[in-house]
Amino acid sequence: MSVRRRKGGRVVQWQGRLFLTPTVVILLLLTIFPFLFTLAMAFGKVSFEGGTLRITITGVRNWTRLVHDSRFWNSLVVTLKIVSLSVFCEYVLGLLLAMLLNRRIRGQTFFRVTFLLPMMLAPIAVGYIWRMMLNDTRGPFNDFLRHLGFRAVGWLSDPNVAMYSIVLTDIWQWTPFMILILLAGLQGIPKDYIEAAKVDGASGWKIFFYVTFPLLAPASIAAVFLRSVEAFKIIDIIYIMTGGGPGLVTESLTLYGYSVGLRAFDLAYGATISFSLFFVVLASSVLFFLLTRKARQISLE
Amino acid sequence: MRSRVADVLTYFVLIAWTVVVIFPIFWMVTTSFKEKLDVFLGPKYLPWVDFKPTPKWWVRIFTVERRELITPFVNSLIVAGISSFFAALLGSMAAYALTRYRFRFGPMKNDDILLWIVSQRMMPPIITALAVFLMFRVTGLLDTHMGLILVYIAFNLPLAVWIMANFLSQIPQSIEEAALVDGASRAQAFFRVVVPMVLPSLSATFLLCFVFAWNEFLFALILTYSKAQTMPILIAMQHFQRGPQWWDISALSTLAVLPPIAITIGLQRYFIKGLIPIGK
Repeated sequence: MSVRRRKGGRVVQWQGRLFLTPTVVILLLLTIFPFLFTLAMAFGKVSFEGGTLRITITGVRNWTRLVHDSRFWNSLVVTLKIVSLSVFCEYVLGLLLAMLLNRRIRGQTFFRVTFLLPMMLAPIAVGYIWRMMLNDTRGPFNDFLRHLGFRAVGWLSDPNVAMYSIVLTDIWQWTPFMILILLAGLQGIPKDYIEAAKVDGASGWKIFFYVTFPLLAPASIAAVFLRSVEAFKIIDIIYIMTGGGPGLVTESLTLYGYSVGLRAFDLAYGATISFSLFFVVLASSVLFFLLTRKARQISLE
Repeated sequence: MRSRVADVLTYFVLIAWTVVVIFPIFWMVTTSFKEKLDVFLGPKYLPWVDFKPTPKWWVRIFTVERRELITPFVNSLIVAGISSFFAALLGSMAAYALTRYRFRFGPMKNDDILLWIVSQRMMPPIITALAVFLMFRVTGLLDTHMGLILVYIAFNLPLAVWIMANFLSQIPQSIEEAALVDGASRAQAFFRVVVPMVLPSLSATFLLCFVFAWNEFLFALILTYSKAQTMPILIAMQHFQRGPQWWDISALSTLAVLPPIAITIGLQRYFIKGLIPIGK
């Protein structure tokens, strides 16, 4: 980003701050302050005495409760499973489709716009559509299976399957995001590199593994990282498709935090659960960056 | 010969994925035109072949059920429209400042400030939502347009700043400098010279923010309960109140996804040229 030095007078700098201030103030007020507020609740107790809000700090009590809460661990495992499975499938599918779109083909614009559609639709509507389609008796999925001679599957009612149905829906909605970023990445690879490899007699697979894939590493890392951060927040699809059930097999951290905080109205413990999500995202990000350090170094060379 | 096989495979996969993308949308739209029996007697696929389409649910949501529908629909329009307008405006002002001035807040320079703003997007909303719920309860902003608008401005600002910073760093500064030399103030240079130049990108940013605000669920669920409910909440509530009445909810869902689909098609040029500067 180019930053040009202007007449360094105080008036000019004052105007610049004026342009930046609204954004900073809004983010401080509606993101940073609530963040600290939740942190305080996670280490305290919330009460309403005569209509006034009161937060008393009680130390780590909420956190010891959290560590012994099997429902919390369940929702953590569910969230991690959903994130890793969906992001992995979305990446593989997205890469395949982006590579195909990067070939010289007819109907380029049509395919690209169509492939983009799912991620622009309201997740709540997407969840509802898939709930209808995965219905045991009236949905097309089991109808197809019956016609092919298979037994019907309890897509949303079978505890062994329900999580995969959520993953399937997430893949349908968010593969477009991978396509969008990976295609941009592919188009940034200079054609000469691939031509040179062809001249040297490299086969298609070799070109992919030794040229395209390494050069695509920055885009791949960005796509997987951004998508994972978003996937950790999952609630809307689950809320409408299974409500966390059957039992608790599809209850994500955000859904559990919401239920405790606003349905059971235990705000302090809800804040504790929610805040643990922050640590999970933070830890996953650090782990991810350590794991991809080598790949990022290679791509720089 | 080899490349012909590859071409056939390419088109096969692309067309197969097109079917995967279109089918659920097709299913929703056709369900909104089905009689109750056509829903209950197992899946029917093709209109006029498998079942006779009826417009009656669409007529119903615009007549008998109009009052239930109209408030959330208008709420969504107001909240998404106003919040996206301010997100795009304030976001481009911040982006303008960050690309034209040199800042230093403690150890933070321009790129650090930009990164700080953008990283706010990564915060899981449930963390802030519980606290915002209490803040709004105390200030009386629960279940109001104003409350939801404020939250959505904060929700979309990081994205708006990111996209606009990318655009503004690319446009030449000579024209605005000419205006400044002619005695225009920074604000005049921004609103009269820069904004008209980047208006297409600014509208694209606005529309993208609009889609995200229009689709948003968690904040709307927590911060509204009747007057200010939005379309996603209406769909979720109808679903829980009415259970298996697929036809009505399909019509509502179709209505809820139409604006984003129209916007996506309208913005295709930007998506293809790379509106979102992520791959860089």
